[in-house]
Amino acid sequence: MPLYSLRQADRSVKLAAVLFLLVLGYAYLFAFLMVKTWSGLTPAKVAATYVPAPGMDEMHMSTESHATTKPLDLGRMPEMQHTVDTNTLVQDSHIHIMIYAIVAGLLTLIILGLDWPAWWRDTVIVAAFATGALDFAGQWLMNFGLGGFAWLTLVSGWGMSLVYLVVLYSTIRAVLPGRSMEKLS
Amino acid sequence: MITLRRVAGALGLALSTALLGAAAHPSPKVVLIKHADYIRQTLAGAKQYFVRTVDIGKQDLAAIRRKSDYTPDDPDVEFYLGQGDGGTPVGVVLFQQVDTPHGPLEVGLTFGPDGAISSAGVTTATVETKPWVLEAIATGLMDKFTGMKPGDDPAKALGEVQGKLGGMPQYMAELIATAVGRGMTLYATLYKGSES
Repeated sequence: MPLYSLRQADRSVKLAAVLFLLVLGYAYLFAFLMVKTWSGLTPAKVAATYVPAPGMDEMHMSTESHATTKPLDLGRMPEMQHTVDTNTLVQDSHIHIMIYAIVAGLLTLIILGLDWPAWWRDTVIVAAFATGALDFAGQWLMNFGLGGFAWLTLVSGWGMSLVYLVVLYSTIRAVLPGRSMEKLS
Repeated sequence: MITLRRVAGALGLALSTALLGAAAHPSPKVVLIKHADYIRQTLAGAKQYFVRTVDIGKQDLAAIRRKSDYTPDDPDVEFYLGQGDGGTPVGVVLFQQVDTPHGPLEVGLTFGPDGAISSAGVTTATVETKPWVLEAIATGLMDKFTGMKPGDDPAKALGEVQGKLGGMPQYMAELIATAVGRGMTLYATLYKGSES
């Protein structure tokens, strides 16, 4: 059953698709900067943001407090580590996962009109939804103390960007004049 | 063509929803003053600095709970000490955080050699809470904590700004007082107890 073709769509539809992608890219740029600033781009930094610090372990706590004092160089004092605790992650999850689903749905509407082979179309649609879901799956696994899953969040983020770039590239090609349907099908 | 218009309409509606959702995103932390700067500014005269890390024991934990109905999240508490010429103590700084639905709020507390608060300041807020915090601070709230000693009621500082604040700034002022109270308890229990 044929789907709609962005190439043959009304100019307003093409305009909406391109503008949506450009503004989404604009938002992704700041999302990247925010992640870079508040979390980091390496597995170690991401894990430090999401893996909870060891809490009170009263079972193994000594009876008396123990103090150690060391010289401090204020010039080398590390900045406070930005952390995401469970409550913050619940807040982040409830809004981000919904937004990811909406964005993936909107990308899917564009993908459906890109005249791609069905297998490739389905692959990119699955990737669009899966990367958002796996991003937060990684964050929750880290919140449960499994810091090794930092890579999952990082790979999902890059995967989201890749899906975006593939759709953007194909959309630009589809809306530009001068390429016949025959060449692309 | 009607189908395409419907698709365009759906795109617009979904984008509007996405933007509304994005607006509700919790805001990140805002550092009002860096720890190193706060220590340097409030321990004026200090020539050398030290960090004392206290690993809380069962007895002190019980004492903290008894005094303030509060359990620290972190088993290690850090105190920043300043010493002047000849090792003269200048003061001690600790940073006390309280969590709110709008993100964390952190207060820096400096205790003088006499054990009284010589300075208090909000060091971290969030993009969302910063205006409320600044409004609370603008009443002179932080100065009201100066001179307080462990055992004093930090809520007394709120009485002096009564009627000057409303809504969220008042809530921030109450959280600041909570942080000050917890900080005084930790100082009295852990720092004083670890002095050699």
